[in-house]
Amino acid sequence: MTFLNFALLGGVAAASIPLIIHLLHRSRFRVVKWGATHLMDVALIKNSRRIRIEQLLLLLLRCLIPAILAFCMARPVLSQLAALAGSSKTSMVLLLDNSYSMESGGKDTGNFVQARTTASEIITSLGRGSDVEVILMAGENPDLESVPNFDLSRLGKAVSELDAGYGRADVAGSFEKAAAMLGKMQNTYRQIVVVGDFQKISWSDEEAPNRARAAELLKAMPLPPQVTFVHQGVEGHDNVSVESLDFSRLIVGVRQPIQVRANLRNFGERTYSELRVYFRVDGTEKGASQINLGPGERQQVLFTHAFETAGSHVIEIVADADTLKADNSFQAAIPVWDTVPVLLFNGAPSVEPLKGETDFLEIALQPFGKSKSDLTDLITTKVIDNENGLKIEDLPKYRTVVLANVRQLSDRWVKALKEFVNNGGGLLIFPGDRIDTTWYNRVLANDNGMLPLPLASLNTPATAKKTTKIISQNYSHPAMEMFNDPRNGNLSDGEISSWFKLAERKEEQTVNVLARFETGEPFLVEKKLGEGRIILSAIPCDVDWSNLPVRSFYLPLTQRLVVYLASTIFPPRNFEVGKPAAVFLEKSAIGKKAMMVDPAGQKHDVPVIDKGTRGLAEFRGTQRPGQYLLTAPDGKVTHFVASTSREESDLLQLTAAERVKVAEPFEAKVITSFKEFQELDRSRRFGSELWRPLMWLVLAMLFSELLLQQWVVRRRR
Amino acid sequence: MAHVANLLSPTDLQKISNLQVVARLVVEGFFSGLHKSPHKGFSVEFAQHRQYVQGDEIRRLDWKLFGKTDRYYIREYEEETNLRATILLDQSGSMNYGNENGVTKHHYASRLAACLSYLMMQQRDSVGLVTFDTEIRRFIPQRSGVGHLRVMLDELDQSKPAGETELSDVFRTLVPRIQRRGLLIIISDCFASVKDLIKALAHFRAAKHEIVLFQIMDRDELEFPFESWTRFESLEQADWHRMVEPAQFREAYLENLEKFQKELIDGCRRHRIDHVRLITDQPYAEALAQYLTRRLGRA
Repeated sequence: MTFLNFALLGGVAAASIPLIIHLLHRSRFRVVKWGATHLMDVALIKNSRRIRIEQLLLLLLRCLIPAILAFCMARPVLSQLAALAGSSKTSMVLLLDNSYSMESGGKDTGNFVQARTTASEIITSLGRGSDVEVILMAGENPDLESVPNFDLSRLGKAVSELDAGYGRADVAGSFEKAAAMLGKMQNTYRQIVVVGDFQKISWSDEEAPNRARAAELLKAMPLPPQVTFVHQGVEGHDNVSVESLDFSRLIVGVRQPIQVRANLRNFGERTYSELRVYFRVDGTEKGASQINLGPGERQQVLFTHAFETAGSHVIEIVADADTLKADNSFQAAIPVWDTVPVLLFNGAPSVEPLKGETDFLEIALQPFGKSKSDLTDLITTKVIDNENGLKIEDLPKYRTVVLANVRQLSDRWVKALKEFVNNGGGLLIFPGDRIDTTWYNRVLANDNGMLPLPLASLNTPATAKKTTKIISQNYSHPAMEMFNDPRNGNLSDGEISSWFKLAERKEEQTVNVLARFETGEPFLVEKKLGEGRIILSAIPCDVDWSNLPVRSFYLPLTQRLVVYLASTIFPPRNFEVGKPAAVFLEKSAIGKKAMMVDPAGQKHDVPVIDKGTRGLAEFRGTQRPGQYLLTAPDGKVTHFVASTSREESDLLQLTAAERVKVAEPFEAKVITSFKEFQELDRSRRFGSELWRPLMWLVLAMLFSELLLQQWVVRRRR
Repeated sequence: MAHVANLLSPTDLQKISNLQVVARLVVEGFFSGLHKSPHKGFSVEFAQHRQYVQGDEIRRLDWKLFGKTDRYYIREYEEETNLRATILLDQSGSMNYGNENGVTKHHYASRLAACLSYLMMQQRDSVGLVTFDTEIRRFIPQRSGVGHLRVMLDELDQSKPAGETELSDVFRTLVPRIQRRGLLIIISDCFASVKDLIKALAHFRAAKHEIVLFQIMDRDELEFPFESWTRFESLEQADWHRMVEPAQFREAYLENLEKFQKELIDGCRRHRIDHVRLITDQPYAEALAQYLTRRLGRA
């Protein structure tokens, strides 16, 4: 307990005044020599007990009145929570913004250092018996989870050692999480404290309905918490961000040039002239570029690179411009393949050039090899005319199998192909004039589920009476999205005279239509089967029914389709924070442990689990943005990059008035320091001061004294 | 004409040290307002002659004087007393109480005894005096005559209150000593067990004594007017004292007093004892009037 007028506390000594008066009165007595002692004794015996109680009560009241009055005037404030039994303990959820914008001002001196210090002070200032949960608004940190929520000193220390660098802060989600946590906490006095930079992007107006919903959730709690917003740090005005990287290829082969396009943006108010942008591969600088970036401007920087070795590589674009390092670079993990082996099953071979069913396709898939160029093809093809062309045991050596106008297959082959797809292989089916549609629909579609859609009927010039084209649209499929850029060719250039009508069913959810004809009928449909994918085309891959093979987009289209199907065997290497990092391993690794090193350098064991013909190592703790490195039991290294949205790069913060406005739904108080928090907490907990209830007590005691006195006097008469 | 003594309060009379003067002042003052009483008749002592009138008894004629003067005269004698009174004066410690401005109960009681003695002597009654506390201190048998009055007044003058009150035992021992039946005038504050006192008085009544009980009280004892912290010390027991704030239990004290008085008065009435309560600031004349009224009432 503290006193605002400590000196006046001395007035408590006034309690002794009534006692002194009483003693003085007693000491100044008169002596009476008395005869009627027997009358007096009886009266004394009868009344002494009652009189003594009355007198003691009166004396007590008279002593307490000046004492409490003096206590009142000393203006007591209970600052030590333990001073008020029962209400001293607090259950607090502390929301700490650890998004990378908090690193503005430097990693060791910036906003986050200030924020974590304040958060740590708040935690350690709480009374004994309090419990605290810390929610990191942009991403969880496992270091905190191991600290018990009632060990405030350890928790405070752990918080003071945290670092930021995570993605965008999820305000509404954090509040909802806080509400769920508070429900499980033990003390009745509850608080939510938000410590952060109150960046505009995280506290945007679009998010207001979500925040309002979270606020309602808190208010509806049986013990609604007190909410406090602690604004920390200053607004940064200089920030350049590498927003994203684009690659020209889905799969990169050895010595195949890959174009890496970095998108840079200046969020600040200052012009960066001659800003150097570096390109690094596996940590080694491979190129640099220099650009001018005005305030608010966006620019692209292009780098080209060919990898010399197959395997997992990491590329990085760095624009070393400002103190906020987190968004000055952008990384990507690139798997580099030696080659992608593709099996082409030619259902209509021909001795004449370009008359065979797969002749155009073969050229499109290995253009350099066919043109005798120095450049190497990523894809290597093997063409077979019948089932005897390949030992069925060798099928898993290929990444993609193409069936081109194949009449039908033996059951053995159907079974082998199904297993191939189930284990992650790709199957591309082109129909033609030779196929047995009945067999396709019965065996592939109905019996084995290997046909995305059944083949309904054939549209020929006789039936359709006119040709059709592929609709030019905005493609969202990874195999098609390159055609959103007109420089890669226009799909609607091709002309189709005959095509299979695919029996589209609305209830079919697993089938994805990649592209359509102008008639609205599907051109390319995809279906996932096990770990692999199957794509069915409505037209053949030769020039019998269309002129597509002689159009410029035929090569990128077929390459994309084949590589896309081949790449499904690899889970993504670049993902958003929080998504799992997974890699398929040899079957022999099952039961062993792989090792994952996270961006903070911490090592994690990852068990390899059984996934049919392969093992799978999956790591889910990817909250922290940056590079993850997985070492398989056989020593093979795979890189992953977890990246965050670059919205955080806009360092604009809410103004003081805006902060008050966003605090309104939560009925929160907005403060800026630990000292203010202490004062606010004190006033919330105990009212402004204690004098008011004490004054009422004094008044009540004065009345009691008066009434008791009158009652005693009335009895005397 | 009112006598000067009627205008004097006991406090004023306190200043007169000679008891006889006090007694005479009081008694004569008291009678001056009354008709002279012809208490004359047969007596052993000659008083005067008067002329014979028809109807007088022949035997009362003074034949010697007839021989000398040849006229009939009747001889008149001082009336012979037939009242034997004993004054029992309480001299216990409690009788020594008196407030700062007034007289002590003992002072009042001894003067009252003196007045009564004087009055009765004047009436040719024989009077005795017993002073006592826990035991009889002095026993003066009943007699009449001026000399006897002197003895009694001296005793009253010299008596000092002390010791505890023990009325019942004293009275019991007195019963056989006062053999001839007569009047007992008890002057006391009666601060003792009422039950025992009444029992002892009943013994006197059984011996055919008439009893007048003068209960002497101080006004303080009736009203208990004390206010501030007071240490009450007993006048009878050296080790008894009480430190109290009197206002707090005045009510209880007065209740006790009332109960005590009621018991005493009821007891007296039951045994046909005249109870007269006197307060030390009342004039002695009032006490005498009370006494005579009751005496005449009984006569």
